[in-house]
Amino acid sequence: MKGNFLFKFLLALVLLLILVPAGQILLWSVAERWPWPGLLPESYSLRTVKELLFGSAKLPGLLGSSITLALTVGVLGTVVGLLTARATQLYDFPGKELVSFGAFLPLLVPGTVFAMGIQITLIRLGLSDTVAGVVLVHLIAAIPYCITILTDVTRAVGSSLEQQAMVLGASPLRAFLHGSLPSLMPGILSSVSMGFILSYSQYFTTLMAGGGRVKTLALVLVPYIQSGDRALASIYCVAFVGSALLVFFLFEGILHTVSERSRGK
Amino acid sequence: MKRKWTPFFLLLPFLGIIGVILVSVGNVLVQSLGYIPAFGLTRLTLDYYRQIFAREDFVSALQVSLRLALWSASLACVLGVIIATALVRLKKAGGGVLSVIRLPILTPHAVVAVFMVQLLGQTGLLARVCYSLGWIQDFSQFPQLLYTAGQEGTILAYLWKEAPFVAYFVLAFLSGISDTLGQAAENLGASPLRAFFLVTLPLSLPVIGKAFLILFIFAFGGYELPLLLGSTLPKALPVQAYLSYMEPNLRARPAAMAMNGVILALSLGMALAYWAAMHALAKKVGGIR
Repeated sequence: MKGNFLFKFLLALVLLLILVPAGQILLWSVAERWPWPGLLPESYSLRTVKELLFGSAKLPGLLGSSITLALTVGVLGTVVGLLTARATQLYDFPGKELVSFGAFLPLLVPGTVFAMGIQITLIRLGLSDTVAGVVLVHLIAAIPYCITILTDVTRAVGSSLEQQAMVLGASPLRAFLHGSLPSLMPGILSSVSMGFILSYSQYFTTLMAGGGRVKTLALVLVPYIQSGDRALASIYCVAFVGSALLVFFLFEGILHTVSERSRGK
Repeated sequence: MKRKWTPFFLLLPFLGIIGVILVSVGNVLVQSLGYIPAFGLTRLTLDYYRQIFAREDFVSALQVSLRLALWSASLACVLGVIIATALVRLKKAGGGVLSVIRLPILTPHAVVAVFMVQLLGQTGLLARVCYSLGWIQDFSQFPQLLYTAGQEGTILAYLWKEAPFVAYFVLAFLSGISDTLGQAAENLGASPLRAFFLVTLPLSLPVIGKAFLILFIFAFGGYELPLLLGSTLPKALPVQAYLSYMEPNLRARPAAMAMNGVILALSLGMALAYWAAMHALAKKVGGIR
């Protein structure tokens, strides 16, 4: 019991340490004056919000393109992950262990090294400074997580329903769509949202592959942080994290509805 | 016959991705050995590696990054396991608490940097709290944590983001073990602490080790956080490597790639060490299973 009290205290401290910086950034983003040593701002203004919406950064467009790019990465990563998971979980072939090592490989090669190494190839392929190049590079960062998530669900779901459907005369595609896909849905959704988050957060790889021409929120945010305008950097962070959370919880919501519905059946 | 080839077709996109990674690694290695025909460099040599190890900025950057990666990964693992244990003990392995714990995982590194500036800076929130408690009289008395050669700010930033990651990463495994074998040990009379150190922890070591490996390599090769929170000199290794990479003098490119080669070699070396350790551990603990 004494131990539990200690754990409770510790957990409360951890939650506090997570939430305080997040809350503080909300204050900073609307603070006009917040001099030392005040614990709260002296005055507030909506300067940053105006700058964000109508200023040079064109936030709405930036949000749109960042989210589209990240969703593309999430979907592509999920497709590749699903195909890979099906190959390793539903079939037997020599060298299977190599696949799980390969899936871990992007975590062993740091993103910075990878991005500097691939640049010359992207230039040769004409993918440098293009959205396609950025998507490809982000995909590498997302793939280990997508494969892990989808391997777990594919193993759990198996292929028995699919095979029954095929025995009853369904084509392989129909058998997959109606037999396995519904049960795979939770894994698919969490893989897409994981890929989304990973792509959304990329800075260095975007800088290298996009050459500064493919603009994402992360890319625009960093110079603001370096310039030292705390209020402006903060409002960008709010927009950045806010939009990421919004998309993420949207997925959680869909996931919840999907699993509720399949349970209802 | 058709089914025999199906897995290979399914694996094609994956193999393409592996191919891209290998091409990138190959580019780094070949260029670091001084082979860049486009710049008129065609002689293979180890000179560039020798050259960078003679440079003081590189050697200190290497030290900075090693220290940074070791501290942030080990502290994150210790703290993450403690958080996961607390979650298991208090039966909070779901719901609202877990959503909050997940928040740092979803927060991009650049944003974490802003959090840390506002929290740990000499005029940051912590300093203000210390002042209002009367512990310090002036902000200059608050310890300098940001932009230091010791990279304290960077380490704390990684810790903020990665300790919850470790907690999340080991939670399912830890709760499985603690519910079965840990409980069994406690029923047989072991104290919770003994059950944790003698049963739960040893069995979870492979998972914790994997988390450590991922975090070490990430922090060792990470760019944004040391750029935004670290000292201007010495720089962290990836920041230094990028700086050399962007030098207008294209003849500096092989040296930049040699720095990347060193980052790569140490990352893969760490992975090898992990596999060797896990192999040894499996031999030792294997008897229990």
